[in-house]
Amino acid sequence: MAIRTLVQVAAAAVVVILLNTLAPTNANVEGRLARNFPLGDALYALRRSVKDPDNVLESWDPTLVDPCTWFHVTCDGDNRVTRLDLGNAKLSGSLVPELGKLERLQYLELYMNNLVGSIPEEVGGLKSLVSLDLYHNNLTGAIPDSLSKLSNLKFLRLNTNRLTGRIPRQLTKLRNLKILDVSNNDLCGTIPTLGSFSKFSEESFRNNPRLEGPELMGFVRYDTGRCT
Amino acid sequence: MFHFILLFTVLDALLAVTWGDSSTDSYWLLRSKSKLVDPEGVLESWSPRAHICSWNGVTCSDHEEAYVTGLNLSASRLSGSIPLEFWNLISLQILDLSLNFLGGSISPEIGHLQNLRTLLLYSNNISGKIPPEVGLLKKLQVLRVGDNMLSGEIPASIGNLTELRVLGLAYCGLNGSIPAEIGNLKNLASLDLQQNSLSGPIPTEIHGCKELQNFAASNNKLDGEITTSIGKLKLLQILNLANNSLSGLIPTEISHLTNLYYLNLLGNRLNGEIPLELNNLFELQELDLSSNNLSGSINLFNIQLQYLQVLVLSDNALTGSIPRNFCSKNSKLQQLFLAENKLSGGFPLQLLNCSSLQQLDLSNNNFEGEIPPSIDKFEKLTDLLLNNNSFIGIIPPEIGNISNLENLYLFDNMITGSIPVEIGRLQSLSTLYLYDSLMSGNIPIELTNCTSLTAIDFFGNHFSGSIPETIGKLKNLVLLQLRQNDLSGPIPPSLGYCKKLQQLALADNKLSGVLPSTFRFLSQLSTMTLYNNSFQGPLPQSLSFLRKLKIINFSHNKFSGTIFPLTASNSLTALDLTNNSFSGTIPARLAVSKNLRRLRLANNHLTGNIPSELGLLTELTFLDLSFNLFTGEVPSQLSSCRKLQHLLLNNNQFTGRMPSWLGSLQELGELDLSSNNFHGHMPAELGNCSRLLKLSLHTNNLSGDIPKEIGELTSLNVLNLQTNNLSGSIPPTIQQCEKLYELRLSQNFFTGPIPSEIGRLTELQVILDLSRNLLSGEIPSSLGNLLKLERLNLSSNRLKGELPASLGKLTSLDMLNLSNNHLQGELPSAFSKFPLSSFLGNDKLCGPPLSSCMDSAGHEKNRLSKTAVVCIIVAIVFTSTVLCSVMIYIMLRIWCNWRKVSISNSSEGAKDEQFKREEEKWIYGETKKRKGGYWRVINSMALVPSLSQDHVSSSCIFHVKMDTK
Repeated sequence: MAIRTLVQVAAAAVVVILLNTLAPTNANVEGRLARNFPLGDALYALRRSVKDPDNVLESWDPTLVDPCTWFHVTCDGDNRVTRLDLGNAKLSGSLVPELGKLERLQYLELYMNNLVGSIPEEVGGLKSLVSLDLYHNNLTGAIPDSLSKLSNLKFLRLNTNRLTGRIPRQLTKLRNLKILDVSNNDLCGTIPTLGSFSKFSEESFRNNPRLEGPELMGFVRYDTGRCT
Repeated sequence: MFHFILLFTVLDALLAVTWGDSSTDSYWLLRSKSKLVDPEGVLESWSPRAHICSWNGVTCSDHEEAYVTGLNLSASRLSGSIPLEFWNLISLQILDLSLNFLGGSISPEIGHLQNLRTLLLYSNNISGKIPPEVGLLKKLQVLRVGDNMLSGEIPASIGNLTELRVLGLAYCGLNGSIPAEIGNLKNLASLDLQQNSLSGPIPTEIHGCKELQNFAASNNKLDGEITTSIGKLKLLQILNLANNSLSGLIPTEISHLTNLYYLNLLGNRLNGEIPLELNNLFELQELDLSSNNLSGSINLFNIQLQYLQVLVLSDNALTGSIPRNFCSKNSKLQQLFLAENKLSGGFPLQLLNCSSLQQLDLSNNNFEGEIPPSIDKFEKLTDLLLNNNSFIGIIPPEIGNISNLENLYLFDNMITGSIPVEIGRLQSLSTLYLYDSLMSGNIPIELTNCTSLTAIDFFGNHFSGSIPETIGKLKNLVLLQLRQNDLSGPIPPSLGYCKKLQQLALADNKLSGVLPSTFRFLSQLSTMTLYNNSFQGPLPQSLSFLRKLKIINFSHNKFSGTIFPLTASNSLTALDLTNNSFSGTIPARLAVSKNLRRLRLANNHLTGNIPSELGLLTELTFLDLSFNLFTGEVPSQLSSCRKLQHLLLNNNQFTGRMPSWLGSLQELGELDLSSNNFHGHMPAELGNCSRLLKLSLHTNNLSGDIPKEIGELTSLNVLNLQTNNLSGSIPPTIQQCEKLYELRLSQNFFTGPIPSEIGRLTELQVILDLSRNLLSGEIPSSLGNLLKLERLNLSSNRLKGELPASLGKLTSLDMLNLSNNHLQGELPSAFSKFPLSSFLGNDKLCGPPLSSCMDSAGHEKNRLSKTAVVCIIVAIVFTSTVLCSVMIYIMLRIWCNWRKVSISNSSEGAKDEQFKREEEKWIYGETKKRKGGYWRVINSMALVPSLSQDHVSSSCIFHVKMDTK
């Protein structure tokens, strides 16, 4: 009998513990912060995604009204982010798709870090972007086609990474592109020659052992041979 | 007989006996009494004068000799170590010391208590290990030593206690694995190992505990798969393995446990599908499989699990919808938690038959479609959590029928329409979260009938109209979040009667008017954010009653008058009044908020000095006083604000020498003193601020050299020193500021050559502006390394010599100004794209866009004979005369035809004007007040005569031409 009651007591205790875990959580704190803060959210996602041994992102406090007082972030008069300056900051980890939400971003300077993974397709949503500097990282995967949507892009420096695949033909649509550097990668296929690509010299493409040279126009298909 | 026993007693006492009696027992008990701290006097009756069997807590045997067989001192507030003497009470069958404050450890001598059947030591402060000698207590039936500070492993010898029915070892720091010998405990009914650090797998041998009814091992570090042998514990009623690291599938053998009414596996790493066989657990009342990696669809049926009251499957990877025939008619289901899965489909209408439901959580799934009007079939519902799905449509008015509803979370959906007025019938409603949706319309006045409301969050919708006049009826309101809507009108004065309000967020609306003086009653208020509205007028004095305010953000409104009423709290952490029309001075009493971290008063009409008391704000990280009318010197007390990261004093009328104590603010990342009247030298101590990212000192009266310590600012991104009286040469140490992307030194008196080291600043991007100085010498070829540079201005210096060919590598350059120097030679061909004005004022430069180098006197390489020259000139004059005559004839004809029509500006003229405006940015003239901006220039007619004449209307051109004729 005593044991029975004991078991019941134990069970009751267990139930109490269980109920505590069941109680509907008050709106998850991080979520609430993020929703107060749509632009900061995109940047804060980056902060969570990277390792930051030098604490350069220490000032990125998601509870602030906007990210404009965070270090390495520059805003315009409407408190919209225009520059992200994190070149040579010893960051490691990967880029986050949320970055694509920064519609007024003009300068994305993340060069000389140890970023890995691929360039998120969402970067193509940065419609004000003037300069995309991701050179000297460890990025892999293909150059996303979506970069061809960056109609204001003037400077595209992706050199010295481990990017693979073809150079997307759509990039030739970037009429404002002044500088292209994809050297020191593992790109393959042929080099586009149309549009803004007509002015880029071999320098822009060197040290991609599998890159086959300028595409031949006319009857010859531009991408013979295997390229993955 | 008595003598014989006495003799024996003494001997026993001396020789650590194996048999006891009452007199030795009383001896041991009296000794132990002296070692215990007994604040309640429960041991008072323990005295040699009374018979031991009458002592409090002591039970004796029925024999004449009266051995002590039981000792119960439970919940007696006893402290001190467990007296070793207890272990000599060898006749003890029951020892209950539970719920005291006893310390010490369980001594190995416990093994002497061979008669012990019940040992209760739980809820004390006992430390050390469980001695293996416990295994000697062969008669032990109940062993509960949990809720202590025991450590070490569970001794394997515990498997010897074959009589054991209850084993309680929970809430200790036990580690190691569960010993396999536990399987020998054939009589064990309850095994409680919760909240330890036990690791390793659940031993297969557990199936030996055939009598086991309760097995709780939650909150340990158990890993491996759940042993299938657990299915043999047929009598098991409770199985709690929550919060371990168990992996693999849920063994289908669990379905053999037909007596199970409680099953909790939450917080493990279980994967695979939920076994269909779990539906055989007919007795199940509570089932929690949440926070695992379970996948597949929900294939549990309330129809079979008829007694189920609580079902928790949240935080898995479950897909599909809820089974069509999920609910039974007589459902007892009260709580259904399916949050954080990948469930999809419309609102699961099949759930409406579970009318017993009290709490329903479908949040963070992929549900879509409308919320059904029949939702009111959940008569007993208190909590409805549908947030973070893709629900559309309106909130059905029938929601007003769910009269017990307390918490309604609909946020992060795509719900449209307005709040139904029926919501006013929810007298129990406490939390209403509708944020991040697409709702619109007025906030219904009926909402203020929900007097139980404690939290309202409507952030990020399109609610319009005004805040209900009667909001003051919500006496229990703690949170009112209406940020980012289209609300207009004033704040109703009744809001001041929501006396429990702690957080008031009305930012990002179109609210206007003055703050009501009733705010004085909001004494619990800690956060008040009103930014981005059109509030105006002076602040009510009564705001100084709000002593608990921590965060105030009134920025971007039209408030005026003094900020004094906002400085009454002594717990402010952030005060942001940016961009209002506040006037008066900064009250010194602001300094009583010792935890103030952010103080932002920029863009107001504030006057006076910075009070030196601000130096007491040692937690301050952000001080922004820019764009005000502050005067005087910056008090040196600010040097105590060692945590300052942002110090923005720009655009005021501060005077005095640039303070050298700035060098002690080593956390500084941004320092802006620009557009003031600071004078003196740039202090060398500034080099200590090695975390500086932006340093802006432009438009002051600073003089002297740039200290060479500038090179210690290795993190610097932006350096702007333009428009000062700085002199000397640019220090080569600047090359160490490797991260500079913007460097402006224009409008100073710098002399000497441009240091070639500047070419090492390869991250320069926005601008390199050295214009309007006295720089001399040649342009260093190293500047050609600045491959990212987009703008370069070296104009109005005394630079000479030829342009280095390397400058042609500056392919990123968008704008270039080399005008007004003494440069010579041929321009790199890459420069032909820049306008003429980029190079004017250099007599000896040539090449496109300037005139061809062949024409330049003194540099002709192919000299032409005089006759050839004469011939060419004659030919040119002749052809141009012919051409002109023809043109004049044609134009005259046209003019004669059109003479009565007024002549308007040609579109070409407009184009010219546009072109000229672009040019203006790059051709500089004189600006009197040189504030902040760069390249703010006025068109200089003298520099571009051709353009200015083109500007004249076409009719004038015609007259000019006519005249020439």
